[in-house]
Amino acid sequence: MDRNKADGSYKTGTLPAGAPLAAAYVPMQRSASPAYEANEALSRGTLFPGLDLPFMNIVNNDLKCTPMTEMMAIDFVADELELYLDTHSADSEAFAMYQTFLALKEEARKRYVKMCGPICQTDLLGMNSYSWLNNPWPWDYQPQMEV
Amino acid sequence: MFVYEKKLQYPVKIKATNPALAKFIISQYGGPDGELGASLRYLSQRYSMPYPELKGLLTDIGTEELGHLEMIGAIVHQLTRDLSPAEIKKAGFDTYFVDHTAGVYPTAASGFPWSAASMEVKGDVIADLNEDLGAEQKARVTYDNILRLCDDPDVNNVIRYLREREVVHFQRFGEGLRLAMEKMDQKNLYAVNPSFDR
Repeated sequence: MDRNKADGSYKTGTLPAGAPLAAAYVPMQRSASPAYEANEALSRGTLFPGLDLPFMNIVNNDLKCTPMTEMMAIDFVADELELYLDTHSADSEAFAMYQTFLALKEEARKRYVKMCGPICQTDLLGMNSYSWLNNPWPWDYQPQMEV
Repeated sequence: MFVYEKKLQYPVKIKATNPALAKFIISQYGGPDGELGASLRYLSQRYSMPYPELKGLLTDIGTEELGHLEMIGAIVHQLTRDLSPAEIKKAGFDTYFVDHTAGVYPTAASGFPWSAASMEVKGDVIADLNEDLGAEQKARVTYDNILRLCDDPDVNNVIRYLREREVVHFQRFGEGLRLAMEKMDQKNLYAVNPSFDR
């Protein structure tokens, strides 16, 4: 990731040359690159170094890697690219990256479901019991659950 | 149509219960700049948006905010598990506990219940997007303030994540406003409201 580019241009966007008065303008992000890799993106809360503006410059450490966080990280990159593409639908590089992550997401989802159980009720197709109800639910956590 | 995914967007794993923290973090569940108001604001503003980029953006950010509501609910739930009446009293959690026990109720830290008066759906492209830009900043400041008050790293990791999402959403709403204004009358942005005037 070339976020140490000397010109720092990934931190700036484009403004219109002549903009009407009485309107608020946020610069358009130029590009979906540079981008963090998936785990770092999830722990920092953004895929984009240019938008990474932490309070008092304190950033999260990388998350402990588990089957769940692996899936979360890939899902997060897809989520983040969806918001970017909502306002940059003609950006073919970003769309290609999105395609890559959709494929990764499908693989990660299948891997997780096989190991840990359903994420969506449609994951129950072909399973031998209604494991949707199995603990843990996402909001439950007991420190002794950690292995 | 919404489909539930049995996972959080970012992990919430709080080892130490601490009802004193839950007392103010609950404001991001049901307070004036919290995640419930955020999701309802964006998901409700969608209907009058004339441009596909904005329909998409409000749908996607509104949906993500529902995921953040779930994360704040998880924080409050985990901070208040396995409490004794003595711990509840000592933390000053008794004023919440008396009405809600250890349930998660959408309220501001002040005790004021969630109110639609804390959000707006104006039915006007420019007014609604400017409201959204302000809403993201207010949520960001609330998370800043939580970080000032909270000393549990298990909680602060999640709060820093949620705070950063507000910064990203601000950028996207700003871009959405740009895209909308480019489609409007360049000589007079306020000539008509494209949400209403056809």
